[in-house]
Amino acid sequence: MGLLILRRLVATIPVLLLVTAGVFALIHLTPGDPIDAMMAESVDDTVKRQLRHDLGLDRPLYLQYATWMSRLLHGDLGRSIRNQEPVIENVGRRIGPSLQLAGLAMGIALVVATPIGILSAARRNSALDRAGTTFALFGICMPNFLLALILIFVFGVSLRWLPISGYVDPLEEPLDGLRSLTLPAITLGLALAAVITRTLRSSMLEALSEDYVRTARAKGLSDAAVVRRHALRNALIPVVTVIGLQLGTLIGGAVITEYVFALPGVGRLVVDAVFARDYPLVQGVVLLIAVGFILSNLVVDLLYGVIDPRIRQTRHR
Amino acid sequence: MSAIPSSLASHAVTRRRFLALCALAPGAALVPGAGRAAWAQETPKKGGTLRVGFYIEAATMDPHLSGSKIDRQVYHNIYEPLVVLDANLGIKPGLAESWQQPDSRTLVFKLRRGVKFHDGTDFNAEAVKFNFNRMKTEPKSVRKGEVASIDTVDVLDAYTVKLNLKRPDAALLATLTDRAGMMVSPKTAQERGPELERNARGAGTGPFVFVEWVKDDHLLIRRNDGYWNKQGGPYLDQVRYRPIPDDTVKLQSLQAGEIQVMDYVQPRDVAAVKADRNVVVLDVPSLADFAYQLNHTKPPFDNRALRQAVACSLDLEQIVKGVWLNVGVPANGPIPPTSWAYDRTIPFIKRDLARAKAKLAEAGKPGGFSFTMTTNNIPINVQEAEVMQAQLAEAGITMKIKLVDAGTLISDGNAKNFEMINFQWSGRPDPDGNTYQFFRTTPGTSLNWSGIANPQIDALLDRSREVSGQAERKKLFSQLTRILQEELPMVFIIHPVEPKAFSPRVRGYDPIPDGMMRFKDVWLA
Repeated sequence: MGLLILRRLVATIPVLLLVTAGVFALIHLTPGDPIDAMMAESVDDTVKRQLRHDLGLDRPLYLQYATWMSRLLHGDLGRSIRNQEPVIENVGRRIGPSLQLAGLAMGIALVVATPIGILSAARRNSALDRAGTTFALFGICMPNFLLALILIFVFGVSLRWLPISGYVDPLEEPLDGLRSLTLPAITLGLALAAVITRTLRSSMLEALSEDYVRTARAKGLSDAAVVRRHALRNALIPVVTVIGLQLGTLIGGAVITEYVFALPGVGRLVVDAVFARDYPLVQGVVLLIAVGFILSNLVVDLLYGVIDPRIRQTRHR
Repeated sequence: MSAIPSSLASHAVTRRRFLALCALAPGAALVPGAGRAAWAQETPKKGGTLRVGFYIEAATMDPHLSGSKIDRQVYHNIYEPLVVLDANLGIKPGLAESWQQPDSRTLVFKLRRGVKFHDGTDFNAEAVKFNFNRMKTEPKSVRKGEVASIDTVDVLDAYTVKLNLKRPDAALLATLTDRAGMMVSPKTAQERGPELERNARGAGTGPFVFVEWVKDDHLLIRRNDGYWNKQGGPYLDQVRYRPIPDDTVKLQSLQAGEIQVMDYVQPRDVAAVKADRNVVVLDVPSLADFAYQLNHTKPPFDNRALRQAVACSLDLEQIVKGVWLNVGVPANGPIPPTSWAYDRTIPFIKRDLARAKAKLAEAGKPGGFSFTMTTNNIPINVQEAEVMQAQLAEAGITMKIKLVDAGTLISDGNAKNFEMINFQWSGRPDPDGNTYQFFRTTPGTSLNWSGIANPQIDALLDRSREVSGQAERKKLFSQLTRILQEELPMVFIIHPVEPKAFSPRVRGYDPIPDGMMRFKDVWLA
């Protein structure tokens, strides 16, 4: 297991190198300039030139990349051009809300999707199945921002049950914190639930048509036991894969949801940084997002082994 | 009972009438007394937290390093400039009690006594000298251009300070009503260093004291109980600013009572919000001009006749009505109707397709020509571009639209990498701030994106800085406006209004056309 993790981590190094080079090239090739963006109203070219020089922006790109990489290898992600604070502090402030939102959304998604997915598959072509499929289709088709605005209108403006926007840290004020995250988590969670429902339903259907399920039924096991002990476990691999991918994406921030609900998460940070051409911040955040993505996929890979002993054995061979 | 001086609230005066008043007699509509009478009968109450929604986060708390408009909204409550604007854009004493101009290159300020910075230190002539020197020498200072005309600062006595100017600068006083005139505590600035950008505790003299800024979440200021001016407020316990980037959500937050003030209502929302009894909208005329710069340094717009053909193909009234939903007036030039220098006898350029065709023929392109226009990829700019495209097509001119984000727009402009480009200027109280840096031939003046170099315009602009009489300056700016309509470094579109929205509980807000929200006398009913 330890060796597997080590092997996987080593394999991520070229991926991360590619990510850094790609992001560096993309953001520097984008038209625009951090100093122009920061000092839109200033007409003093000498000040701008001086600032560009101080930040090393007047040096050739490959040198800038080399400097950045060498700092990175020393564990220094640099400082934001805009607010002068270390990139890591900027991300540190934003990662909490993003993780909480991701966790809550995923929780909502699983609570909603698991029973619907299983029941839809177990009662195939029933009214229940049709309702489940409709829900999944609705969740996938509904754009995030529209759902967000509808939720805000109903629960924030009309009923006034929940706050419309803003963030309260649930670790400091649990009740207000949860209230502030409820609407954004539902917005994200429903779309996630839809994807998970569909995946779970189709992989359950496949598992239920397998020979071992027929054998289990022939042994006289109840429907519930067949589904729980035999079909579900075998149907979980694709579901866990989808969850892992979605979670990886969520760690990078749910840009639109964070934007609409004015949540200070990583997604908004990176978008604002791109608009401000805050090169070190964009590079740093994207790198960290990539690391998060890779880690969540690693966890998923390890989970495969937990779920399916055959995979574990193949690995040991 | 309205939130705002009731004569200004939307229920009482229609926007059209309000604008007409502004245009006819700048100041008349905004006489604070007229509105104040309506709520002056109520006794202001102390206390409460005013929650304000902004469209973006502030950038820095150091006024000398600030290049973002949103910062000023906060500054005007914690810092104070030497002189302040009144509702007619007249200049009134601020931290300076009075001033004299013995000659065109000298400005002497008598400072107010008994003013303390929030850190307990005295505000005095030494502090003023420190501030101007900081603006001139701090490497990252964004104020350098604004105080460029100041050569040296002499402390005459503890409360008298003399500015020696390199050249006459009639616009300087007006410039000192904003960030360039804002005084930062020397002690705090020196002790805190770059940290001042994030923490302005103790740095100002204003009616509110900086408390905390939790990035991306809120910025909190509280009442300064030791404020030097004992007339009126501050009444509010606290003001809490929050960035809410989505306009619709910000508006819903106001309607639901989560915030009580929002800095700007999108034109598309104005009508709906005015119909809502839970919200009071105030149309604050601005100093802004929204225009398109035409690149004089390369084809096609190095040809004056083609610039003129474009200008007289556009129907500004239709654009202002259809795109901006009348939240503003068609622009005759860079100077807004709120300014004393606005010349209402100069009409905006009217649509005249026959003239446009004649101009095309004069330029040797009777069949029309094609060019690319660069604009911001935001809905209202895209709509405007599409309307312009259709209007120009009727004259046989093909306009291609290139949509970019703000960062690219600014860089393309600075690099003159455009043919026609959107330019929105928030405006400055003195007409100099809406003209000089855009139209004066000066290498390195980066806002002259069009690259116009015209000796007649240069002479007028220089002269407008030398003469100090307002009447004479107004004549010069009128002349300038007429020449700009011929030379067309820019096609001027609109002088927008900046609608702000309030909860009906908000009382005592006095609108100044610079759009800044000063909360000293604001209270919650």
